[in-house]
Amino acid sequence: MMDVIIQKLSAPDFSPENYVQELTQRCVGSQELEQQRLRIQALAEETNTLLKKNVYRHYMQFIETAKEISHLEGEMYQLCHQLTEQRALLAAMTTASVRGEKGLQSNGIGDECDGNKEEEKEQKRRQQLIDIGEAVEGCVSLVDIPGRQLMYDGDLLELDPIDNTPLQRVHAYLLTDTFIIASWILNRRSPTRYKYEAGYELGSLAVVNVRDLKNAFKLLVFPDTRVFQCSNSQTKKEWLEQFEEAKKLLVSKEKVKREISVEPKSPARSDTLETSMNPFEEPEEIETPDETPEWLLEVAEDLDVFIAQRHFEQAYKLIEKSTEYLEKNKLSNDLVAEDLKRKLDSRVKTLTNVLTKELEVSPDKSQQGGLRAARRAVRLLNKLGKSTQACDLMLKLCSSLLKTQLKRVKLEGAAVKYVTRLATVFFSNLAEMVQEFQFKAFPNSPQCASVLIMWLNDEVNILMSHLIKQVLVKQTSLSTLSQCVIALHTQCSQLDGLGVDVKYLVDGQLRPGLTRALTDTRDKLIDAVKLRSGEDKWHPTNLNTKQQRDKLLSEFSNLPALQFESYITGDFWIGLSANTIAFARLYLSLIEDCLLLITPDLTHTIDQLLYDVFSAQLKHVGNSLNSERFRNERQFITINGKFLVDKLLKHCNELYEKKVGVRCKKLDQLKIDYSRYQVTITSYI
Amino acid sequence: MAKKPVSPEALHKVIMVGSGGVGKSALTLQFMYDEFVENYEPTKADSYRKEVVLDGEEVQIDILDTAGQEDYAAIRDNYFRSGEGFLCVFSITEDESFQAIQEFREQILRVKNDENIPFLLVGNKGDLQDRRKVSYAEAQGRAQQWGVPYVETSAKTRENVDKVFFDLTREIRSRKMEDTKTSNGGGKDKSKRKKLKCIIL
Repeated sequence: MMDVIIQKLSAPDFSPENYVQELTQRCVGSQELEQQRLRIQALAEETNTLLKKNVYRHYMQFIETAKEISHLEGEMYQLCHQLTEQRALLAAMTTASVRGEKGLQSNGIGDECDGNKEEEKEQKRRQQLIDIGEAVEGCVSLVDIPGRQLMYDGDLLELDPIDNTPLQRVHAYLLTDTFIIASWILNRRSPTRYKYEAGYELGSLAVVNVRDLKNAFKLLVFPDTRVFQCSNSQTKKEWLEQFEEAKKLLVSKEKVKREISVEPKSPARSDTLETSMNPFEEPEEIETPDETPEWLLEVAEDLDVFIAQRHFEQAYKLIEKSTEYLEKNKLSNDLVAEDLKRKLDSRVKTLTNVLTKELEVSPDKSQQGGLRAARRAVRLLNKLGKSTQACDLMLKLCSSLLKTQLKRVKLEGAAVKYVTRLATVFFSNLAEMVQEFQFKAFPNSPQCASVLIMWLNDEVNILMSHLIKQVLVKQTSLSTLSQCVIALHTQCSQLDGLGVDVKYLVDGQLRPGLTRALTDTRDKLIDAVKLRSGEDKWHPTNLNTKQQRDKLLSEFSNLPALQFESYITGDFWIGLSANTIAFARLYLSLIEDCLLLITPDLTHTIDQLLYDVFSAQLKHVGNSLNSERFRNERQFITINGKFLVDKLLKHCNELYEKKVGVRCKKLDQLKIDYSRYQVTITSYI
Repeated sequence: MAKKPVSPEALHKVIMVGSGGVGKSALTLQFMYDEFVENYEPTKADSYRKEVVLDGEEVQIDILDTAGQEDYAAIRDNYFRSGEGFLCVFSITEDESFQAIQEFREQILRVKNDENIPFLLVGNKGDLQDRRKVSYAEAQGRAQQWGVPYVETSAKTRENVDKVFFDLTREIRSRKMEDTKTSNGGGKDKSKRKKLKCIIL
């Protein structure tokens, strides 16, 4: 029954209307019709499931076929790759043989072969790049740049740059100007086997041979570092060689490019034009040899280009050449000559301005190049006859350089240390600048030399006024000051070899401050002397222990002139008062500092200081001798006085003489002063 | 390969610079392997790593030994960029190599754009005193002018070899600590640091 229905329904001339008519005619009553309907419904369901099953089976088959196809595709691709490789190999072989034969063949055939070879090469180059584009997902348009070429490629293992653990497997391509890293695609279904990960321009890339890691090399791509490991040492060697090769090519290419742009076009053109006549010029002038060459007409434009490209040397050469030409050959056409001259003048002005700008100091300009960076501009400005400007600018530059250098010296620690460091930086830089100025920038130029001297004067004054503010303050002790001055003097001498003496400037600046410091010291010391004198009891000093005694002796042991041992009595008594010993100590350190500071300008002040302080002490001795209070101590006081005058004063004056060359009259005066006290004493007794 | 992980803070990148043949590689190899290599082979760019204990702290020194030859001058920038500190080497027996350091210094300052980059001036071949062409005072003067330390070494006798590497690494480390301090510590440290400096003139 079912089959009949199926046959009927699937018949080609099946018509639903006829079928329904037939059914209604044949069936009697609704019951039978219902039965028919159920039957058809069952049929529909059955067909439905069947259809579903079929679709499912087909789907499975479809998937299988797709798999098969992709497999095939992969194989085809590999085949294609192998074929390209073989073709490349064959091409290489043919070019090799052509080259080998070329030497023997005549030129004509060789050229033809060359042409073919070139074409083949180009073809090969393009194909390789296209292949890469196909193999790497996300990487296209490699072919666009002419001359780009595949140099090397291969699998690499990328390592962690810090702890050298393996990160991922990559495939890398080295082209003439780029390095491409591509990672593997795991489930590949198409010819793209890799996924583009990074491309680095060769120009911004540094290759490093990692020596202590097997078969590894490193790429420095600021700020990244990437480490790669090759499968064996041979491939690593090849990679490194190819990188080197590519880098060399790149550098040489850039050099060529630069040379092309730098090479002034005009002279080449002028050579041909000066000899051959320009047929387009006015015919009657063809006879005169001094017609305006074309390069001269274009001088202004060429100069603009040179200046814009900052080829200042070329610009200068061209200016020089043009001026020379204009002077030598009186141009027949006055108007043209005028015009040219005017143009030339304005270009000279522009060039001067640009060069001046180069030298100008501005806060946003880097000073890293230092003076050497200024050399070029200074040299050219000199040539342009603008030495004065150049000189001024260079000195300004020097000033600002000095300033930055000095700023770096930190104000910390002891004053002496600071002064020494500051002076070292200042004078060593100054020496370098003077050297640069005198020997490199402006040799044999008296005007500039005098400007330099003026400048030196100013700079030294600035430094000194700063130092004076920092160091020459009330609290600073004389010994610190003297050490600072010594440091300054030593550093000053760096300039001696250059024929420049700035010592007098330094001293001149220091004088007022030092004089003040000396007077202050005098007042302080005299106060101290007076204070101690008030407490003086004129007793011999008890040192209490042997150690104390030895300590004191060793303190004065390097001054045999004082004959300190002779005053020792008993185990630890000294036949001098504590005040006398203290004064001796004080005065010895004072004279030491003074003698370090002494200059002809300061001699008077220092003499006065030495005199006043000693005189105060002597006055105390004299007064004590005459005092009723110390009647019983007179003997002892005389010993002390004798020690001061005969030993201490004598020794100090010897020191003075050794340093200055003459005895200090003021100190001699002291002896006379003291003898006057003695006279009164003797008369008193 | 089973090395323990290294933190980037404990990896200090040192770059050897200087003219060809002054002994950059010799210094490096002496430091790395305690051996003096007699035969000369120009370096292109080699890197080494050594783990050392610096003041009780384990650190790694990454040394990049660069090419001194003039051919490589144009591509040096890329190398210098990665450096955290520089050993600028010349030979005390060759004045030209001393003159060349000025250019290296300038290039480094330009590339790093940092005037206080850790930097050590190294006069190598100190064992060849009889062939000395560059006086100690001259080199010292240059170093002073730059505000950097000057050390004379001998890759042959190993004199001061460890010192230069250690001093520089120490400098790099303190620079890094200072930098992290200023970036983490906020304004307080910064102002503190500034106080030490003096704006003069």
